[in-house]
Amino acid sequence: MAKEIWVFSEKPALLAELIANALQLAKADGASVAAVVVGNQQVIDQAFAQGAQKVYALGEKAADVLLDDFIPTIISLTKSKTPALIIIGATRQGKAVAGRLSAALDASTITDAKYFNQDSGGIEVTHLIFGGGAIRIEKANTATVVMTQGSSIVDALPPNASAKGEVESVPFVQPAWKATLVERKQKPPASVNLAVAKKIVCVGRGIAKKEDLSMAFDLAGILEGEVAATRPLTEGLDWLPRERYIGVSGATVKPDLYLSMGVSGQAQHTVGITDSRVIVAIDKDKEAPIFPQADYCIVGDLYQVVPALITALKARK
Amino acid sequence: MNIIVCYKLIPDSEDMVIKPDGSISLDQAEQVISEYDLLAVEAGLQLVEKNGGKLMALSVGTDKLLNSKSKKDILSRGPDELYLVTDASLANADTSQTAKTLVAAIKKMGDCDLVLFGEGSGDLYFQQVGLQVGELLGLPTFNAISKIDVADGKLTVERSLEDEIDVYSISLPAALAVTTDINVPRLPSMKEILKASKKPVVEWSLQDLTITGDGKPRVDVLAVRAPKSADRKRIKIEGSPEDVAQTLIGYLSKEGVL
Ligand SMILES: Cc1cc2nc3c(=O)[nH]c(=O)nc-3n(C[C@H](O)[C@H](O)[C@H](O)COP(=O)(O)OP(=O)(O)OC[C@H]3O[C@@H](n4cnc5c(N)ncnc54)[C@H](O)[C@@H]3O)c2cc1C
Ligand SMILES: Nc1ncnc2c1ncn2[C@@H]1O[C@H](COP(=O)(O)O)[C@@H](O)[C@H]1O
Repeated sequence: MAKEIWVFSEKPALLAELIANALQLAKADGASVAAVVVGNQQVIDQAFAQGAQKVYALGEKAADVLLDDFIPTIISLTKSKTPALIIIGATRQGKAVAGRLSAALDASTITDAKYFNQDSGGIEVTHLIFGGGAIRIEKANTATVVMTQGSSIVDALPPNASAKGEVESVPFVQPAWKATLVERKQKPPASVNLAVAKKIVCVGRGIAKKEDLSMAFDLAGILEGEVAATRPLTEGLDWLPRERYIGVSGATVKPDLYLSMGVSGQAQHTVGITDSRVIVAIDKDKEAPIFPQADYCIVGDLYQVVPALITALKARK
Repeated sequence: MNIIVCYKLIPDSEDMVIKPDGSISLDQAEQVISEYDLLAVEAGLQLVEKNGGKLMALSVGTDKLLNSKSKKDILSRGPDELYLVTDASLANADTSQTAKTLVAAIKKMGDCDLVLFGEGSGDLYFQQVGLQVGELLGLPTFNAISKIDVADGKLTVERSLEDEIDVYSISLPAALAVTTDINVPRLPSMKEILKASKKPVVEWSLQDLTITGDGKPRVDVLAVRAPKSADRKRIKIEGSPEDVAQTLIGYLSKEGVL
């Protein structure tokens, strides 16, 4: 059987990016790309439109069924076909799929893989450790390699709606155990997509009170940008929703302008901002690690500097 | 109910030394409990406080685990017993080796209703070990758990996904990895610190366990280095807030980002 690279994600946008990456990797050694799909014909068509050459169709998921219930099916399919590589979307559910699958395959997942580099001996990837404080180059040595890939690592290809391919239906494997879904609470839809923001005002713990966030929103308003935060402000303090934090476990951004106030600049945060074009940092501690990573360094009290900046910007308009 | 909480001892990244050639050294680093695992410990503690039973902490790694300060640290945070598996070969264990060792230890520890894990280890952050252990044990296994309640021998948990929060009912025994905001771990009290050195500690070597497989890593590490820091301008802007604002605006318009 010809070598296959598989992709799986419950998020259509991410699946499209995984397919693009898999096609790139497949080029090197003539492998073909197959998508493992839980969903209806529309989802299957989408996988083909994005470039998948084959679809393993696991069927539709009823509303009260968990994605996790499909893991035994994915395990048995992978065991019987032994794809060279399976790339899974790095969502929380994707990581659950990856972990349980790799245990069943006696493999070990490389999560959040970046910079995929194919050579004859396999695929080397980059994995951040110590929250971005260091980089490891890793290579799995198992028959099937399991990896997870986050969003914005590779751009999706423009869809080709007329593309078609082979569909193989996969029978459902009854799981040995099931959780009962008692309730599903939708989170409010994400109000912001930091990954595409051109200007970002980022707040850190240097902000003393929740009310003072209005300063950041005022500044972002004048700049026509978005407000982002460090993790402590979103998880823990709960001052802002999760989708607003930047870093290893949060968003990766690439704005023209990133301006921080009261952000110390720990690696876990700054790995998310390295692709920013211009970085401005305001912090009262002149030793703050953010400064060596910034283009414009303002040592000062944000409660004085930011209002002055807002006034000056308003005056300019 | 008997709960096992798995925690990892990791080098404190603040002590990381970046050498001129870009390689890193952690030789001098202090060993600390991985931060996120403290939330798993706290979650376990709250469950035994409410429902009775005992909390057992488990870690696998090198003999750095046997350091008395580290043992006292974890025990002062609430666990009743401590289990440690040490071997020099576990120094750079991948998630598969770690998971198989944990599985062997958990089987030897006897009856247990729940195995808890942190969201991810503070150094490698694969977020995988808990899922692998659960799958190898054949237990109901979930990650991203942000709330745990027990009633009538069943668990009710909240799972915090990207777009939704699911509430599940799960049978016991089970394996769960918790989120980073499931709770705020309490600080060890003086009383707990004093009690810690009197609690039982069981130490095993790999030979004491029945571990499946060849013991080899599934992932090879080819290189470890510090990230390249982008060359930034690092221009200092000083003066009164008003002057600083004007100067910054000048620079930013020149950059074309206003
Ligand atoms: C495994 C792991 C993953 C993590 N992932 C992330 C992540 O994805 N994203 C993330 O952001 N963090 C993450 N963290 C947390 C991270 O390590 C830091 O704790 C966090 O980024 C620090 O946030 P901060 O800069 O807001 O707070 P602090 O580090 O407390 O910094 C506050 C800064 O404000 C300054 N300040 C105070 N008052 C003023 C004032 N009046 N004017 C001006 N400056 C002032 C201080 O000098 C200080 O520099 C992670 C941690 C771990 C262990
Ligand atoms: N060496 C270890 N000993 C005990 N538990 C561990 C070990 N490594 C990882 N864990 C547990 O598994 C979780 C996930 O680790 P990781 O997959 O490395 O991110 C951690 O939060 C711990 O609860």
